[in-house]
Amino acid sequence: MDLRLLTFLMEFVSSFISLLVGYYALKGYKEFSIKELFLLYLGFIILGIGTFLRVFSATYFVILLRALEPAPHLRSLINLAGLIYTLTQLIAYSLFTATYILQAKALGERSLELGIVSAGLFPIYGLFFNPSLELIAIVMLGFITVHSFSNWILKRSSGSALVFLGFGFMFLSHLLFLFMIVEPMFLFFGQVTQLAGFVCLLVMLARVSRVHA
Amino acid sequence: MPREHKEYRSKARIYVDILACIMKHGGKSRPTRILYGANLSHDRLMRHLGQLIGLGLVEEEKQDDALIYKLTDKGRAFLIEFIKMEKFAEAFGITI
Repeated sequence: MDLRLLTFLMEFVSSFISLLVGYYALKGYKEFSIKELFLLYLGFIILGIGTFLRVFSATYFVILLRALEPAPHLRSLINLAGLIYTLTQLIAYSLFTATYILQAKALGERSLELGIVSAGLFPIYGLFFNPSLELIAIVMLGFITVHSFSNWILKRSSGSALVFLGFGFMFLSHLLFLFMIVEPMFLFFGQVTQLAGFVCLLVMLARVSRVHA
Repeated sequence: MPREHKEYRSKARIYVDILACIMKHGGKSRPTRILYGANLSHDRLMRHLGQLIGLGLVEEEKQDDALIYKLTDKGRAFLIEFIKMEKFAEAFGITI
């Protein structure tokens, strides 16, 4: 199979899983008025739509580039699509970050202490920071991963472990995407890692759906 | 001086605590048992039970001159769905 097609397919599956998790969070928000799930719903829906649009636009541009000569305006259009996708990702990660910050504030002192530990680790990720949007995404995902790790340490449940693995893989995928400039194969590795992250979230969703009274 | 921390319970959480208490006692229970199990005052319990009956989640029955409250199929389904959602939220570090 063509590696490019496989990459698109993996991204499509990732977007589908993201929409599924978002839908589940929306269900919790609407049926049980759990307002804390609203940000999670928005985050996953935006991430899912953004990823889907990237698959769609990338496929469209591949077809277009095969048919037409690569013109400068087409290149700028591809850049714009990439920028929109990265922005949707950043909005989604901001919403996940807000979920963790709000939850740490709402909980007791023990959780806040863990929040401070996470904040202490934050400058490590801050070292990566530069104006590039991809790097901001890495910083945000680093923060989210540390918080999901804290949650796993507190809860020690399989669900929290899967969420930590999910965000951890997404974080790793963004690191791999950075090296795409030197070696294009890193895009493929990044997509595999990203898919692994979403599969972890899907397994978590399947596990919670199997709960019996 | 240590500050007393009072945990806020949402309406959905109170409903679930009542339903879970009835479920624990085999699907039907007297109000006194629910009162202790769900940690509610008598007045609040009766008000919430009235709302649960209205929603079709609980049924009221008379047994040996005493009132008992039974979990309906809808109530059971509501409880299971809530437990699922609680596990989902907990996985993301969200406490309901």
